[in-house]
Amino acid sequence: MATSEQTDKRTGRPDEIEAVPVRHPGRWIAAVIVLVVGASIIKSIVTAKGFQWGVVGHYLFDSRILHGVLATIWLTFLAMAVGILLGVVLAIMRQSPNPIVSGASWLYIWFFRGTPLLVQLLFWFNIASLFPVINLGVPFGPALVSPHANSLVTTFAAVLLGLGLNEGAYMAEIVRAGFLSVPHGQTEAAQSLGMSRLQIMRLVVLPQAMRVIVPPTGNETISMLKNTSLASTITYVELTYSAQLIYSANFKTIPLLVVISIWYLVLTSVLYVGQYFIERRYGRGFTRAERASMRARWLGMGRGGGGGIA
Amino acid sequence: MFTWRKSLLAALLLPCVVAIAACGSSNSSSSSASSASSTAASTAASTSTSAASSSSGGANAAVAKLVPAALKSKGTLTVAADATYAPNEFIGSDGHTVVGMDADLAKALAAVMGLKANVVNATFDTIIPGLAAGKYDMGASSFSDNKEREKTVDFVDYFIAGESFITKASGGTEISSIADICGKTVAVEKGTTEEADAGTQSKKCTSAGKPAVKILSFSDQNAANLALSSGRADLGFLDSPIAEYQVKQSNGQFKVVGDAYATGPYGLAVPKGSYAPALLAALKVLMQNGTYSSILSHWGLTSGAIPAAQVKINGATS
Repeated sequence: MATSEQTDKRTGRPDEIEAVPVRHPGRWIAAVIVLVVGASIIKSIVTAKGFQWGVVGHYLFDSRILHGVLATIWLTFLAMAVGILLGVVLAIMRQSPNPIVSGASWLYIWFFRGTPLLVQLLFWFNIASLFPVINLGVPFGPALVSPHANSLVTTFAAVLLGLGLNEGAYMAEIVRAGFLSVPHGQTEAAQSLGMSRLQIMRLVVLPQAMRVIVPPTGNETISMLKNTSLASTITYVELTYSAQLIYSANFKTIPLLVVISIWYLVLTSVLYVGQYFIERRYGRGFTRAERASMRARWLGMGRGGGGGIA
Repeated sequence: MFTWRKSLLAALLLPCVVAIAACGSSNSSSSSASSASSTAASTAASTSTSAASSSSGGANAAVAKLVPAALKSKGTLTVAADATYAPNEFIGSDGHTVVGMDADLAKALAAVMGLKANVVNATFDTIIPGLAAGKYDMGASSFSDNKEREKTVDFVDYFIAGESFITKASGGTEISSIADICGKTVAVEKGTTEEADAGTQSKKCTSAGKPAVKILSFSDQNAANLALSSGRADLGFLDSPIAEYQVKQSNGQFKVVGDAYATGPYGLAVPKGSYAPALLAALKVLMQNGTYSSILSHWGLTSGAIPAAQVKINGATS
């Protein structure tokens, strides 16, 4: 903050200000601390014998593990599809002026968010204990078809129902939040143009609500990717179950858990990229100017960019 | 803006962060000590179903001499059992104590060696890796002694049992032996010899042109039994004494079908090259003074009593 007090003898005007950039030694100290601590943690992880990195490498591309990876991807995709569809329907039902319809939706959401996912999966898997035969037909009337519960609800169907119906309840709240974020003026303007409720929902509200729906939905998808591991408790062959079968036979529990952790991380990272592109598409016309580029932030380590701690 | 006060704060945080990193890099295996103190109290106040407090009483000097010094100084053996396998190991009526034939035997053996036993509940397929990692001192969980497992742990053989099939009493699947399970769905527990044997049979089925066995592996026996009762599985495949006991407890819901398969010894699992000789000596003492047979008869398992000639270390024949 040195301002030159001297005046130029010739012209009598003050010299140009000697602007010294703001120093940020604290940023450098913090960076060094984080790097040193991080390096020591990474070294302990890499050299810990229990990980048996050789075994990890051996099983990373094992055919059973890869088969499990594909099953997990497929299950995540299908369960999210069921969940999103169901969530949109439930959210629209919640908006309904009909109290029975809106109440039914509320009850569904309350029940499926209120019980643990693991318990839901166990119930679907063992549904034949409750309903040995499922009668499909007129409620309280004659049944058209009566399949055995275990033939109708296969293990795959049980997993899909468990994950999808649970996800539907959570998505319903996310979609409802999206609807709430669209200014009511939009609906009023559309109504004044004579659009029906369905047209308003489809053409005006839903497209604008997408901007607010997409980030939490990305979060839910990433969460679903990990929730599929619960299917291992009901013997569905996905990634975690495949690893469990291998390590129950060869006792190499930790290396195989590392293998599946690596695969889950890789798949999650792919989803990050997907979410970025979807968010960009739905954020058109809304996002402010891009944040300061990375280069400017690195320069700020040395100088400039005041404020913040140290 | 740089100030001394703010950099002092950062300097104080630095040792905390470094200490956390240092803790993460050291290999500590002290988990057994903390679990011992919390459950020792509950096992001491244990249940009336225990039959261990009989004639053996105190330590046997000859056996105690064989116990390694490290164990003597620890004083307590951490014994792991998967408590979903009544009557060998299961959770007692207090809701958290592991009771059963294996728990009683482990406590009696520890007493002969001059130690205490702390029996903890663990998932079956984590016990052998846990022994190898030093987390447990003994695995007393109806382990079938076989050569594959002997690569990782030592076994002291103490009981004879086979594998049996169970099915629903009405409308169940009738089979006469393991050869009949081709194309059927069998519920097993992960990591058991039944899982491996069903897999071997499945390969035999497919090479004979028959459909493979569909094997459902569950993390505990309760889930496997549930799958059987809900009809997901046609058959349950588990150790014979367990099968008989659970059929009795099921009040007519299940029945045993077919012949017992692969009768062989159970072994108490200990880390490789550790105190198996001391454990063997302790077992022989219990068999001599009648404690072994009284524990077995308390649980109705006298038919599985091991003949003296088969009491050995790593006595698997396959």
